[in-house]
Amino acid sequence: MSRTDVSIKTHKKSSLNEKTKEAISGYLYVSPFFILFAIFGLFPILFSFYLGFQKWNGLGEMEYVGLQNFKWVLTDEIFWTSLTNTLIMWVLGTLPQLLIGIILAYALNSALIRMKSFFRVSIFMPYVTSTVAVAIVFGIMFNSQEFGLFNVIFGLFGVDPISWGTSWWGVKVAISTMVFWRWVGYNTIIYLAGLQAIPNELYEAAQIDGATIRQKIQYITIPMLRPIIILTVFTSTIGALQLFTEPLIYIGRTYREEGITVVLYLYREAFSNLAFGPASAAAIILFIIIIIISSINVLIANRIGR
Amino acid sequence: MSEKVGTKKVSTSRIFVYVLLAIATFLSIFPLYWMFVMATNHNSAINSVPPAFIPGAELVTNFVKVIETIDFFGAIWNSLIVSTVTTIGVLFLCSLAGFAFAKFSFKGKNVLFVFILVTMMIPPQLGLIPQYFIITKLDWLNDLKAIIVPGLIDAFGIFWMRQYISSNVPDELVDAAKIDGCSNFRVYWNIAVPVIIPAFATLAIIRFMYIWNDFLWPLVVLREESSFTIQVALRGLIDNYVRDNGMILSGTFWATVPLIIVFLLLNRLFIQSLTEGAVKS
Amino acid sequence: MKKWLMLVVFSSLVFALVACSDDNESAGSDDGGGNDSGGDGETVSLDFWIFGSTGYGELVDEYMEEHPNVEITINEGEMEDMHNNLFTSISAGSGAPDIAQIEISAIKKFLDAQDQFYNLNDYGAEDVAGNFLDWKWAQAQNVDGSFQIGLPTDIGPTTMFYRTDVMEEAGLPTDREELAEEIDTWDSYYEAAKTVKAETGKPMADAPQLVFNALRDQQDQQYFNEDDELIIEDTVKEAYDYTTKMIQEDLIGQNELWTPEWGNAMADGSYATMPGAPGWMVANVKGNAPDAGGNWDIANIPEGAGNWGGSFLTVPAESEYPQEAFDFIAWLTAPEQQLRSFEIAGLFPSTPDVYENEEFLATTDEYFNGAPTAQIFAEAAQSVKTVYMGINYATVDTELNTALINVAVEGADPQEEWDAAVERINSQLERQ
Repeated sequence: MSRTDVSIKTHKKSSLNEKTKEAISGYLYVSPFFILFAIFGLFPILFSFYLGFQKWNGLGEMEYVGLQNFKWVLTDEIFWTSLTNTLIMWVLGTLPQLLIGIILAYALNSALIRMKSFFRVSIFMPYVTSTVAVAIVFGIMFNSQEFGLFNVIFGLFGVDPISWGTSWWGVKVAISTMVFWRWVGYNTIIYLAGLQAIPNELYEAAQIDGATIRQKIQYITIPMLRPIIILTVFTSTIGALQLFTEPLIYIGRTYREEGITVVLYLYREAFSNLAFGPASAAAIILFIIIIIISSINVLIANRIGR
Repeated sequence: MSEKVGTKKVSTSRIFVYVLLAIATFLSIFPLYWMFVMATNHNSAINSVPPAFIPGAELVTNFVKVIETIDFFGAIWNSLIVSTVTTIGVLFLCSLAGFAFAKFSFKGKNVLFVFILVTMMIPPQLGLIPQYFIITKLDWLNDLKAIIVPGLIDAFGIFWMRQYISSNVPDELVDAAKIDGCSNFRVYWNIAVPVIIPAFATLAIIRFMYIWNDFLWPLVVLREESSFTIQVALRGLIDNYVRDNGMILSGTFWATVPLIIVFLLLNRLFIQSLTEGAVKS
Repeated sequence: MKKWLMLVVFSSLVFALVACSDDNESAGSDDGGGNDSGGDGETVSLDFWIFGSTGYGELVDEYMEEHPNVEITINEGEMEDMHNNLFTSISAGSGAPDIAQIEISAIKKFLDAQDQFYNLNDYGAEDVAGNFLDWKWAQAQNVDGSFQIGLPTDIGPTTMFYRTDVMEEAGLPTDREELAEEIDTWDSYYEAAKTVKAETGKPMADAPQLVFNALRDQQDQQYFNEDDELIIEDTVKEAYDYTTKMIQEDLIGQNELWTPEWGNAMADGSYATMPGAPGWMVANVKGNAPDAGGNWDIANIPEGAGNWGGSFLTVPAESEYPQEAFDFIAWLTAPEQQLRSFEIAGLFPSTPDVYENEEFLATTDEYFNGAPTAQIFAEAAQSVKTVYMGINYATVDTELNTALINVAVEGADPQEEWDAAVERINSQLERQ
């Protein structure tokens, strides 16, 4: 974040009056977010935080219980299972998205191909496909029985049917595949917008200097794309740690241990067990974990291409 | 389209790119195709083993069942309003805020920006009840405002615009315009906006699709049929105990078609803007 | 100056669009606020939330014609959604309807918050209690019976669907009465399962959950006693052992309910019986297996029926017209109207009066070899037991089902799975 700030400061040559005007404009332009957030976002967050210290079933009276909810969550094996699951599915489902997303965007951006629009639209389609359809389709593909699509394919190579719906790795692989499938196009489109903004002159100049494709990627593409890469790493990390829709689609309301994520865990506590206190405590703990991991992530991503 | 990387006619790499894209396309489109197949088949064909792979003859039958059960077109209209208004609002507000964060200096800027990022880190699921409470206080139940106005809060959009503007709108241009006496808003409007049209198109695509497909929140605040968005209306196809997947997927499929059209339109805008940009430079 | 102009133009554009969409709704919400007094002769407007295909629209029109001062607005949605919306409304203290349909699976949760609903006993519920089956009436009551949250609508008494073709192949009776005589206990069900397996290679049932549920529903006490203590070890463990034993001997398949393969199995006759199937399952089987007519038939479950599904009509405390709401739902759930909604939408009546109606009893179904369906389900309805469920019924049910599926699919050890499920249940219960 700091690079542009510095450049603005050094380029400052206007009067104090100009500076004040700029500051006023700045506050004015960012204010809608904060006003809307104050109305619609702040109260729910404070409410969740407050609930973390209460016992509440959603309908009756609240009762202050101190740190009891946090103790319950932190000593609950299933909570830790859900955290492990979330992290594993992050590695399996989300990290590959970013890599494949860049590769696909690069391919779509290259002058080699025709029918760009067709490919672009197709690759983005999973983001558009409704979850009802995704649930049914993936249910058929990852069917645990012998006739399940993936089991048929693996069967050709002599692999025994895998129980995608119940085994420790089966569930995770199935959910991660769904996550990967649903979001890779989304990331591709974002990278593509970044790639297309890189001026051709840079590549042409490099071409003249006899740079290889690898060198062009390393010294032009990656540095120019850095702000976008930071963005995707940051948002996809948060998305992965808040993974909810895909496991809910795949394991449904059985909340199976093999596939339960942290958000699914807190959702179960709140809306199925009516234990809003522990649910809020879990939300707060997750929030802290996300802050820590995102900070580390941004630090690492900041180094890319430097 | 402008000429880009590696114009050398290396046929092997060209083949490689095509194969890669072909695989990606197949995997991406297949579930959508299958949704169409299911929308044209009877429920029993969907549940059979192996399931139907080719379109059936129930296309019309299934869709007639859909429009008999729910107000399909009314709900599509509501969805169009909600998605369009929210998307336009988000584009404007996010680009303005992103521009301020990228190009202006003012006290507390970094703190405010980090705060926006932190709001993304809070798991939203538990906010449902208090958020609903606010909507009832505003008397916005069954009102599309209940979807549109909270939908304008888009931390991702601001982040996206800030990143894009910071690397694509040159500081020199901004400063030059200011020296010429442009007001800050004119700098945004005349200098930044034309350059970031691809970013607009991308954010518009993402937001529009998201609002269109979102049903968790609309389900809570829209309770009268006249206010239903399409995703809420589609829930009405799910019967208590008996599930007609043919009908459900028919509704789902036809609700996706407007999205694909919107995507194609925005995609055209996206490409056009790039070509224009190339010509100018 | 120009930027202000832009902002103004833009925001007015946005709000103009929003305001346009407003017009449709304003009419509806206005008359809601217009009649606060609710005196005689004034229009009483009632919001009525329902789910599924109830066929209530027709009946509501009829009621409004007879009572010109009552205006009822139906709001229909998916079951889970309607429950969630009711929960959110009550939790936030605003937005609940005058009458809400609640399914049996959710009724205890709401009964636990009884100050949020009118006690229908105060409006004359006791006078109509005799209309309904005792067990159904008790489901919407608190432990001592002083609080009645809802009036019963439909029920789901369970029977055993079976494939005549598979039975024939196995050399077992295909006639529904002969079969019920042959399989009249769970021991004989087990014996028949071994015969079916030996003769046809097919399992007796495909979904472990259905067998377990059928056995469970024959217990007076199931997951909790009236003090909300978990008692599954003494009540349903036997049903679990019976089911897992059959799973291990390949007499029961591994399908989970509502999956495509479960639906498909209805069509291809890959098993012999579907125990614990209620009236609404008829439409399910027909939908999944439109061409299997004549291969299915209906018999009694060995050792007595259970109940699966069915709803109640409740009056949330927000309503300004509890008496009018009650009068309407008392009419809607009276035997004559229940018979009508059976005819219109197939909702099986919870009023035993109807079971003596000859026209009702004459209902047969060609698909099921002309079985007298109404009569069979009515008989089943009368043998259902009154059971205390408790608010955590669903939590226990989910975990036990997970254990059963693990045994069926993973080949896990039944006792270990049971212990693990009990542990998971306990850790969730101690939070509340």
